[in-house]
Amino acid sequence: MNRQRPPGPLTVAELVHSGPLGRAHLVAAPHLDQQVTSVSLISDLAQARRCAPNTALVVHPAAAPGVWALESALRFAWERNASCVVAPSEISITDSTKQLAERLRVPLFTVDDPAEQALELAATIADTEAVRCRLTARCAVLLGERHRPQDIVAVINNEVPGVRVVLVTPDGHTLAGRAADNRPAGDPHQVRVPVPGPDGRPWAELVAYLATPSPSWVQTVETILKVARAPLAAAIAHSQLSSVRQAGKDRLLLEALLHGETTVPKDPPAVHSTAGRTDVAQIGREAGWRLDGTHVAVCLRPLEREICAPDAITPGIIAAWHEAFPQLPLVPMPRGWVTWFTGESAEPAPLADLIRRRLSGARIPISLATGIGQPATGLKGLRQSVAEADLAAEVASRSGESSVELYGELGPRVVLARLPLAEIADAALVLLADLAADPRTDVLVETLSVLLDCAGSTGQAASRLGVHRNTVLGRIERIRACGVDPDAPEQRLALHIACYALRSTRPSR
Amino acid sequence: MKIDPDCLTVDSVQAISAQDVPAMVAGNQLLCSAMGAAGVDGVTLCVTQLLRKHGPVPLLDLAALPPEAMCAAVGAVGGFAPTIELPPFGDEFTLAVRALEDRVGRRLDAIVSLNAAGPNALFPIAAAAALGLPLVDCDGMGRILPLIHQTTYALGGLHVTPLAGASQSGDVVVLETRSERADRLLRGVVDASGGFMICALYPATAGELRNAAITGSTSRILRAGRLLATASGRSSTLAGLSHTMGARLLASGRISELCHSSPSVGTRHYPSMPTSIVVDEYGRAGRTVRLEAQNELLLALIDGAVAAAVPDILCLFDHQKLRLVGLEGVIVGDHVDVLVIPAAPMWHSSRGLAVAGPRAFGFPVCHPREGGYR
Repeated sequence: MNRQRPPGPLTVAELVHSGPLGRAHLVAAPHLDQQVTSVSLISDLAQARRCAPNTALVVHPAAAPGVWALESALRFAWERNASCVVAPSEISITDSTKQLAERLRVPLFTVDDPAEQALELAATIADTEAVRCRLTARCAVLLGERHRPQDIVAVINNEVPGVRVVLVTPDGHTLAGRAADNRPAGDPHQVRVPVPGPDGRPWAELVAYLATPSPSWVQTVETILKVARAPLAAAIAHSQLSSVRQAGKDRLLLEALLHGETTVPKDPPAVHSTAGRTDVAQIGREAGWRLDGTHVAVCLRPLEREICAPDAITPGIIAAWHEAFPQLPLVPMPRGWVTWFTGESAEPAPLADLIRRRLSGARIPISLATGIGQPATGLKGLRQSVAEADLAAEVASRSGESSVELYGELGPRVVLARLPLAEIADAALVLLADLAADPRTDVLVETLSVLLDCAGSTGQAASRLGVHRNTVLGRIERIRACGVDPDAPEQRLALHIACYALRSTRPSR
Repeated sequence: MKIDPDCLTVDSVQAISAQDVPAMVAGNQLLCSAMGAAGVDGVTLCVTQLLRKHGPVPLLDLAALPPEAMCAAVGAVGGFAPTIELPPFGDEFTLAVRALEDRVGRRLDAIVSLNAAGPNALFPIAAAAALGLPLVDCDGMGRILPLIHQTTYALGGLHVTPLAGASQSGDVVVLETRSERADRLLRGVVDASGGFMICALYPATAGELRNAAITGSTSRILRAGRLLATASGRSSTLAGLSHTMGARLLASGRISELCHSSPSVGTRHYPSMPTSIVVDEYGRAGRTVRLEAQNELLLALIDGAVAAAVPDILCLFDHQKLRLVGLEGVIVGDHVDVLVIPAAPMWHSSRGLAVAGPRAFGFPVCHPREGGYR
């Protein structure tokens, strides 16, 4: 700790939390953030009239023959901008005195021995550093005993007087503490300390709002925030490890279920076992999974253009999913994440709307495509629905934007989703080299593709393309001139797939 | 001794008859915050009977008396409660005055009031009626103060003694001592004789009284009493009291607290019990008015600041029932106006405040006219 810094005065709140006022009875606490620079023990009310600003006014019993005298002392404290009034406990304080203290915004305490209290207060405010070191040490001990970010932030909020602390992400989302107000950075009432994640990269920021800033108090708060960084990183690492471990277990379990395995090797201490193996479905049910009834599977996967390591983003995706759907498991799978809705009311179309709505507000770190399977019953039905949702998600992932596709609306087209389009397009460029070299290659490929879609009907193709039939005939002549015969039966499938691959992989104009 | 009949006019009040007694009762409550409207029926009956028997009592201006006219103050010493239980029979006044006359060796020419407030506003009238003497329109307190030497008579240099006291049992005591010792000595006798005695004290000539008395006291409460007896609305009553008594509205609100506490060390010689009343002003930003009393209301603090103090008179006026509220009748929840009636100018002198200011009652504060606090 820097011993050269100027000792800033303590506040009433600090004297309550870490000083002798902690043993006093707090009658009214309207404003504990005022600084205390001196102590005055008054044995005559007239002395109260002459007290300096920021004084802790300690009233000796001789100066308080009745509660009226205490109210007079409160009045003088208010007029002289004193920090607080400490009264002898032998005065029976009523509600009206308490209300007056609150109205005048003068904190009021009672103690058994005002003279002793005055001496202790004087000794404390003469050595502010000692009080703040005690505060920092106590915070360090308590922070080391907490294991959740919320608990760590709560320690600071509870122990550090006159300070409100929040833990926020770089995009402004509050992770712990009460949501912050919009004060600009650089505000003297604000202390910011970056908090690295377990990997050392910036993860969040601790922001403290101070009621009464002074250079030394700002340093004290900053020190406490820095002390909190290590417990926070440990808490996050623990949380992420737990999440990854749980995700791994869930994945193994779901894979076993989807592959039709009925048992897995016994994992001691297993409860439901048969000859050294454990019933998979039973494990799933014990994990809270609903395996009976009608299911509609949902598959999430990154868009094709997203470059990410699924294992690294899985904890974030699962956390965001649970913010949107707290009751539903999200299980990582090789190409994405799977969940399912169970119940008679689970219908794909309403589910699509619900998922769109909820995910639009969730804090998901990447763009996701969603596929939804058809309703199906039982474990066997779940397998089918998951397979359908996976295909639908593959279609959705190729759309280039966060979209939701329903398997039931895609029909046989989903088969095309599994084609290795990039490789086929490369081969097509070799096969149709002359056509690809034509200046109007896009138009010709489109025309060829539509012609094949329409089983060689030039009339239907003209209608779909929105051109005259003669134009289509002209283009066909030109295609033939490039060495491509759309009527040759043995070439039609290959040509059709090649055109589909070229159109799917070329950027749209 | 001849009294000039032309001077028998005191602000249109020439004499006090039995018909004036209800107005006197209503008016003297204003200066007696301890009692308010409660418990003077027996005294009223006694005074009324004496006035009916002996006829109206002439009310004289002090200036109308020749300087050598012999006077003495008459008043009751003791508590209110004994007078409720056993009102005077009517012969105590003659016993006390005759004993004093025997002691000083002169017959009285007129009666003056010890303090024209509370029941003591009525006893001098009864004495004057019983003795066939005129009553001088003056008193020595202008309010109720607990000690018999807390008077402007004493401030003006008059001696409390020799004094004579008579009880309802016919006991008569004559006391001659220094003014400061008189109250303590008399208090023992009063306690022994039932807690209440009619006393004749401060024997003095009219010339001596002119520099020591608060003039116009009796006629003033009679006018205030007539106003209160015919009160028809809050604002007109307050305006009338302002005009008649100089009364000022300190605050209006609801009584939220009433508590009693033990006398503090410095005030144990007073025959009184501290009481504290809190009035919450109306409105969200309403102030807190704390009234401190020792039998009488003595100190008013608004949000902790001294707003009014003894010897100025504080009283509570129930603005819904249009009547004064005595300390004995205060109920939490009452809606009241807190009124301040300024004391006689003599009390605002430094000597006056030393005798009857807030510090004399154990409040270590200064009177507002002294600038608040020391």
